[in-house]
Parts: sequence; C-alpha cells; structure tokens
Amino acid sequence: MRINRRAVAAAAVIAVVLPLSACGGSEAGSSDASGKVAGKITFQTWNLQANFKDYFNGLIADFEKQHPGTDVKWVDRPAEGYADKISADAAGGTLPDVVNVSPDLVAPLAKAGLALDLDKAAPQYKKEYLPGAWDAHRVPGAEGTYAFPWYLNTGPLFYNKRLLKDAGLDPEKPPTTYDEVFDAGLTMARQSKGKVAALANVPTIEDFGRYGVPLMNEDGTAFSFNDPKGVELLTRYKELYDAKALDPQALTATPESSGHKFLTESVAMNPGSALDLANFKKQAPSLYKNIGITDQITSTGKANMYVMGVMVNARSKQKPAAVAFAHFVTDATRQMEFAKQVAIFPSTAGSLDDPYFTEEDGTDETRVRVAAAKSLKTAVNYTPVLFSEQMKTELRNAVARALQGKQSPEEALDNAVKACDRLLRQS
Amino acid sequence: MKTSTASGTTTSDLVPAGPPLHGPGHGTGSEGRRPRRGIRRHLPYSPWLFAAPGLLVVGAFSLYPFLSTLVNAFTDRRTLVPGEFVGLANFRELLDDEMFWIGLRNSSLYVLGVVPALVILPLLLAMLVQRQIPGITFFRSAFYTPVVASIVVVGLIWVWMLDDRGLVNSVLEAVGVGRVGFLSDQWLLLLSAMGVTVWKGLGYYMIIYLAALANVPRELHEAAAVDGAGPVRRFFTVTVPAVRSTMVLVGALSSVAAFKVFSEVYLMAGPSGGPAGEDTTLVMLVQRVGTGLSGRVGYASAISVVVFVVTVALMLLVLRADRKEDA
Repeated sequence: MRINRRAVAAAAVIAVVLPLSACGGSEAGSSDASGKVAGKITFQTWNLQANFKDYFNGLIADFEKQHPGTDVKWVDRPAEGYADKISADAAGGTLPDVVNVSPDLVAPLAKAGLALDLDKAAPQYKKEYLPGAWDAHRVPGAEGTYAFPWYLNTGPLFYNKRLLKDAGLDPEKPPTTYDEVFDAGLTMARQSKGKVAALANVPTIEDFGRYGVPLMNEDGTAFSFNDPKGVELLTRYKELYDAKALDPQALTATPESSGHKFLTESVAMNPGSALDLANFKKQAPSLYKNIGITDQITSTGKANMYVMGVMVNARSKQKPAAVAFAHFVTDATRQMEFAKQVAIFPSTAGSLDDPYFTEEDGTDETRVRVAAAKSLKTAVNYTPVLFSEQMKTELRNAVARALQGKQSPEEALDNAVKACDRLLRQS
Repeated sequence: MKTSTASGTTTSDLVPAGPPLHGPGHGTGSEGRRPRRGIRRHLPYSPWLFAAPGLLVVGAFSLYPFLSTLVNAFTDRRTLVPGEFVGLANFRELLDDEMFWIGLRNSSLYVLGVVPALVILPLLLAMLVQRQIPGITFFRSAFYTPVVASIVVVGLIWVWMLDDRGLVNSVLEAVGVGRVGFLSDQWLLLLSAMGVTVWKGLGYYMIIYLAALANVPRELHEAAAVDGAGPVRRFFTVTVPAVRSTMVLVGALSSVAAFKVFSEVYLMAGPSGGPAGEDTTLVMLVQRVGTGLSGRVGYASAISVVVFVVTVALMLLVLRADRKEDA
C-alpha cells in the first residue's frame, strides 16, 4: 500500500509541534469574583477523606444548603505524590476550582497565574484571619495573597525519659536550647557507646531558620543560609554525627523513618506535633509510658509553624462559588469544628483565645494543645515559600557531604546556596 | 474462510494478497466473481482500517510521548511554563552536572553488577528445579513468589531487614561481626539494591530458562555421558550451547532493565538517592528534576534521551555479540 508522504509529514509535524503548544501560556485569569454564588465546583483535599469523611460531607451539605444552586464535588488525593498530581492537573488545565495547598505549592501556581489573588478578589475576608497566617501565602516578587489560610500546626519536642535516665541525664530537665540538645546528644552517645542516638534527622531549612540563620535576602531573590550562623549549626551537627549521637541512617532518613526510630526507642528525641501523641499511645504503649514533652527548641524565641491553605483556581468558571466555598471551609466556625476533631489549630483571628486552647485539664493532650496554641501566636513558617523540593534535596545532599567530611560545612553550604539560587532563577 | 494460494501462503477470501484464485475464464460460479469496483478501490486500505485502533493507542501512548520527550529535550520547558527552543543547551549543561555523572556511573554499575548474576543464577536454579522429583512444583512456585510480589512491598521488607537495627544486623551482631551499614554506606547501599533486584528477578528468568531447557534433547546429555563427560563438562558442552540464545535474550532484557533501575534504589536509598545523593541513578534523576510544580521538564527530557540512547546501544551490543558468536 502506498502511504501518502504528505500525510506522514503532516502527522510528524503535528507530533513534534503539539507538545510545544501544550500547557499554553501563563495568562492569569481575571481576579473578579463578584456575581451569583452558583454552579458546580470541585474541591480537592490532601489525604483527608480516610479520617474526616463525615466532617467534609456535612460541611459541603451545609454550604449547598446556604447557597441553593451550588453543587460541590469533593475529591481527595493521597499524600504521596500530591504535588505531582497538582502539577499534572495544572499543566493539563484540569486544576480543581478549590484546592488544599501549602505555601510552597502556591508559589509556582501563583507565578503561573493559576492561583487567584485574594487581596483583589476577596479583600473583605482578610480581617477574619491572623495577620501572619494571611501573609503566609504571599509570594516574594509578586503582589497579593494566593490562598485562604486554613489550619496551622506546630509542636513540641518529644523525648524518651528512659533513654535520658540511662545516659545519666535528668529526665525531668530536658534540653531547652540547641547547645543543651547537642551536649545531651554527645553524652548519650558516649554512655551508650554509640548505640543510642539523640536525633534521627539531619537539619532541614526550618532547623536553620529556628537556629536564627537568615534564609533569604529581603527581596526573596537569593538564599543566604550559608552565613556564619548556618556554618555553626552544621559544624555542631557534624560533631554529633562523628560521635554517633546522630542516627547512622540520618543521611537517608525521611520524617516517617525517623519517627519510626523514635517509636522503636532507638532514638531519644524527635520533634513532633500534637497529632503524634495519640499515635504514640496507640502504636507504642511502652514508649508512651516514658514520653517526655518539652517546648520546641528555637534560638529565635519563635517556634516553627506549618500552614495549610485553600486556594481558588484563577481560571475557575465558577469563581464566585469557588471563593465563597474556600472562605466557608476556612471561616472561624468551620476551623473551630475541625480543630475539635483533630489536633490542629485555627488560623482565624481570636480562635486561639477560645478556652479549648487556653485551659488545661491535666492530661498530656491538653498540655500539648495549650502550649502549642500559645506558641502559635508568635510562630513563624520558616520554610521560604520559594524553597522547592529540588532545593530541599540540594540542601540535604550538601548537609550529608559535610557530615561525611567530604566537604567543610562552609564549602557545602556555599555550594547548596549556589545550587538553590540557580534553581530559583530557573523557576 | 481461509484458502491456500498458489504461493502456498494462507489468505482470506476478500484480501487479494496473492494471485487471483479464479482468473478470467476459470469457472463461472459466484466465487469467481470479481469484487465490485467500489469495494476493490478500498481494499488496499482495509488492513490499515483494522490496525487503526491499535495504531491510535500506540501513537497516543507510546509514539507521542516519545516524540514529545525528544522535542522537550531541546527546550527549557518547565511544568507550568511552555518552553522555548534552546538547542543543545540542556545537553551541554548535562556535561557539567555532577549529579548526571553520578547517575550515569550508578546505572552503569548496576548493569555490570546485576546482569551477569541474572544470566547465570537463574540458569543454575532452572537446572535445579527442572528435575522431576516429588514436591518440585512447590519449589518452582516458591522461587517465583518474589516476581509476583509488589516491588514496593519487596523494597520495604528489605529495608526493614537491612536496617541498622534490622534482622540481618541483629544476626551479624549476635555472631560477633557487628552492625554493617547496609543502608547508610554509599556502596553497600547500591550493592544491597542490586541484591534485591537479583533476588526479585531470579524467578522470572528461571521460568524462561526452564522453557529453553525443556527443548534440549535428552540424547545429547546421554551421548555426552556415554563419552565420559561429567556434570560440569555436560553443563558447558551441552547445556550452555543449547540455551545460548536464551542467555543472550536474558542478558539483553536484564541489561535494559538494570540501566533503567528506579524502584529498588528509590525505596532503599530514599528520595534523595542515598547519602549526599551518591546512589542516584539516571532514572531517579529524571524523576527528581522533571516532576513537581517547579520541574525542569526540558532538562529531564534531555536525561531521558541519554537513557534511551544508552539502552538502545546496550541492546545492539548484546545482539551484535550474539551474531558474532553465530558467525
């Protein structure tokens, strides 16, 4: 059979040109969200369906009742690969109308014009939230706020009283400063002949932040965590690593694997959140008997907090309904209801003054909750919103090179900053 | 209905693939009637019509992504930003990228470490379970079990076993060897991942060898035995030549799979690719730089093109070696 050469050539050209045309431009959608709240919208959450199905179904039913003519379709995505799923949707033009995001996910979406600027589209809601939380979804180099703040989280440092006692340390006087953490770690490693490590994780960007290291310049155009304070932190960690006070597998550990080491009592200290307490009780009763709880270690006086947000797709066809729903999910009433179901904290103004967050009843749960709520009033999200996953890997690899002695802490951090700056320019 | 043509091939009644069954003047029945002009005009296209659904699927899910990757390799495309043509810039950047060379080194080492083991060990295993003794089916199934197990489950099990406080280290400590950093030392980690790949692949290639061994004539072994050849000599003079082409096939398949290794190393070394990323393989690097909201799709595509070229070269190398042997 003769094949039409022109047809083949045309098909080849289409196949070659089509990928280039995919994704389209990054033209921003209009910020106008005024109009009737109606229509069908899709709401995407981040691994919440398994435990909070009834809460969200009730919330959606309430919204639909309040706004006749609206129809909310709820989709939940697993935690694993959530960013990849969003990027596939964003690239394919199928991003849901309302999306559960963290600040680092918002930044690239805002840059691509896919996140609605709430300072323009919904400024009337700003006063309802804690100022720090409202600002959490700002992107350096761009004006505006790109997601409603949702729940906040922070947590104490958990420690194993038995392991501290075995090392000759006073379990009732846990470390309160970085210096004390490092000294306690070295003592524990020495006493146990390297069998018990104090920590299971290498320092991350928020550790550098809590240590008081300036992470970025004021314009958000370059990283600066290679300053002398950053070098000092990494040098102290190298001392820990050399003395086996840092778990030998810390260089390849994930937060999950280091949490597992704490559960199995091979590591003495682990930063966590109020969510972990129930987990210890259920999964490791023997650890729970020995659990010690102390304030998050920080040299700045401000704890680290994690912020969740709810973003509105700037290209949503039902923008009024999407904005109304995103606000509904994150308003004070709904956040308070959600906080009573799970150990998270509302980002709405005044909510943290509720007796639920200020009064202890003598249990560990309320003690952690009250302490965390108190620290949240001044807490900071130390992870820069422009710090991408690839940048995290660059920092992690640089830290590993320094700990292994392949590079000096100074050289390793200089290289990491160089690599992160390059990635920042390319983003 | 199928009929034989003059050339001996088989063809359908309606497809004029060979000489006409009934030429002019041969027979007068309805079978001898020529297809109508309209139908005949379309006959050359009909095979393509039948193939169209398959071609569409192949085009959409194999050819298009492949061509798309090729094109992207010459652009600076990112996940949310359409790219511009940058020529060979991505490939030039690869030459200066330390992580690319680490990935190339590890993927190549993986081929060198895994392929010989996967060519030889499954053959020995197949010879062992080929014998017809009571209960042998159990062992065949047992050896095949890792093949059907999910790689994620396999990876997690081995991570627990090789953990600093896992089963293997507990045994080593009990016998006085002391703990070994299977998952914290750069080279031991890579070796451990290779071990898991071999362990998981043994059963699969064993089945292929079992099929090949079933075709080795028993008389050859008997004749060699009569001539005084022992088991080792019979293995090298009878078995190996008889299954040589299968060994080449196993070598080709396993070398391509080894060069493209991802799951085992990712699960055991973690997303950062081992300490300081020193265990990163090329495919892990593609995943790391090309995915996420800030993914550099163009650069990741350039790495994918390198992976493609090397795997094709590997295949050609193995097949060429086989042809030389034949000559």
